[in-house]
Amino acid sequence: MTRRTQSSADARQAPPGVLAAPAPGALRAVPRRRPSHDEARFGLLLAGPSLLVLGLVSTLPLAFLVAVTFFRIEVTRPWATGFAGLTNYATMLTDPRFWHSLRVTAVYTVTSVALQVVLGLAFALALAGEMRGRHVLRTAVLLPMVLAPVVVGLVWRTLLLTPRYGLLDYLATVLGVGSHSWLGDPTLALGAVIVLHTWQWTPFAFLVFTASLAALPVEPFEAAMLDRATAWQRFRYITLPLMRPAIVTVVIIRTIVALRAFDAIYAATGGGPGTATEILNLYAYRVAFNGLNLGYGATLTVTLLLVTAAMTVLFGRLRGAVESPA
Amino acid sequence: MRPSHAARPHGLQPPRRLRRFAGHLPRYAALLAAIGIWAVPVLWVLATSLKARTDIFTIPPRLWFAPTLEHYRTALGTVDVSRSIANSALVGMLTMGLTLLVSVPAGYAYARVRFPYREPLFFYTLFTQMAPPVGFLIPFFLVLSRLRLLDTHVGIVLIYLTVTLPFAIWLVTTYFLDVPRELEEAALVDGCSRLTAFVRVVLPQTYGGVAVTAILSLINAWNEFVYASVLTGARVRMAPVAIFGFLTTEETLWGPFAATAVMIMGPVILVAFVMQRHIVRGLTLGALR
Repeated sequence: MTRRTQSSADARQAPPGVLAAPAPGALRAVPRRRPSHDEARFGLLLAGPSLLVLGLVSTLPLAFLVAVTFFRIEVTRPWATGFAGLTNYATMLTDPRFWHSLRVTAVYTVTSVALQVVLGLAFALALAGEMRGRHVLRTAVLLPMVLAPVVVGLVWRTLLLTPRYGLLDYLATVLGVGSHSWLGDPTLALGAVIVLHTWQWTPFAFLVFTASLAALPVEPFEAAMLDRATAWQRFRYITLPLMRPAIVTVVIIRTIVALRAFDAIYAATGGGPGTATEILNLYAYRVAFNGLNLGYGATLTVTLLLVTAAMTVLFGRLRGAVESPA
Repeated sequence: MRPSHAARPHGLQPPRRLRRFAGHLPRYAALLAAIGIWAVPVLWVLATSLKARTDIFTIPPRLWFAPTLEHYRTALGTVDVSRSIANSALVGMLTMGLTLLVSVPAGYAYARVRFPYREPLFFYTLFTQMAPPVGFLIPFFLVLSRLRLLDTHVGIVLIYLTVTLPFAIWLVTTYFLDVPRELEEAALVDGCSRLTAFVRVVLPQTYGGVAVTAILSLINAWNEFVYASVLTGARVRMAPVAIFGFLTTEETLWGPFAATAVMIMGPVILVAFVMQRHIVRGLTLGALR
């Protein structure tokens, strides 16, 4: 197992601890001396503009958005505009389409994140170590991550999945699966957009896992070799436990991003057919900008934001538990 | 390492190089599979954009064909596409410039300067990237229309700062944290002011990181779709919105569509190819988008 000892260059790129947002205390490296008056002013002067901009383009709109949820604002029926209290939230709780979109969001998120982690880990393990052609691979996996998601979605909808003429549909025919209306059939469409999202973001998991695999200590593996542990045992009892922080980090980041997914799925199906791929984000978009019911649309997005924030907090706790086992 | 192999009589073994090759075969198969899975769809778009109309819809798909640039001519001949690409480039550049102007000093402050509420403010910055674009469309639409900034370059650049800024500040902060502290302490001892130490001594050490931040901000703004689709219209149409023009319900013009897709993806791919190592680091380090 010489491949654990590979170039330290890869290891240096991304120490496993700092892959996501820094844990509290990450900034503590600043000297302990008491901040002088000048120093404080200097810091606020440097950070001030960014805080001003973020306040204006992010926090103010957020406050506005939350306020809108308490109003009835329908562009098509301006006379009905007015304070509505919690009506929008009450409507939401009894709206079957909302619950449906929540279910679709859950299926979409859980399935695609699980697939990303499993496939990313499999490829990272299979391709660990020095190999000819690695730099080609690095460029290839970078592609789906840096290309415009909306263009990616459109490309899948047309050049890849169109029945008869799409490349993937052709492959499916050759492989005996047969030609299908992948995005037009309600039972296939959700699977298709999950595959699309997985294609887009497995490279992220792959790159993170590759970096953290390269940074694993060599000693446990040498000891295991001496004890004649099988490859499966080495993976199950050494690699996997050591990789846990990286896996948790990937799950967190990918979940938060999957919850907010919009562009690719909008381009590929627009939420359809019917509501088969209508994640919460898309439902909110349809309500606000096709139905022009801004109050209710805002309520749906605030709900999504709350779900995302709750997941972030939950995951933060989880990560804390993983990094400092009791 | 492999006692079972060594125990076998030497003469019965295939030549060493062949054996080594066979041992690596599954790994190279995995490598080829990975490259195929992620590169082929992109190459397929390029191929389609160069095929004559009749070749695009040939089944089984043609791998060898006489390349033509007619779809690029058609696409660029559409006023909308050439103008939208110019718009996207201009807006991307402006967004990138403003993002750097604001995020670089902020990043330095969070990494190196002690000021009140530093940590809460840093986490506030990170929190703002949870902004739900679909939800923010509503206030942005209402406010921009009130300010008469709908469908203007200025309006969309301001909005794009919500997309680029939190991520840029976070990324730049990590790069500043990497610079050895001794460097600026020496500069301060030599009589530099804090500002001079930052601009003249520390900043040059992070040009690489600043460049990555710039590139990723540019890519984010160039690729953005949700805000562009609602907050810009006929005057300042962006490329990711304009490309929908080839895929109406009446007709699907795959050739010009693929050509436009290549023109949108091409610059990003070139940059990704040249700076792959740095971009991989930037993306995996802080990809909380």
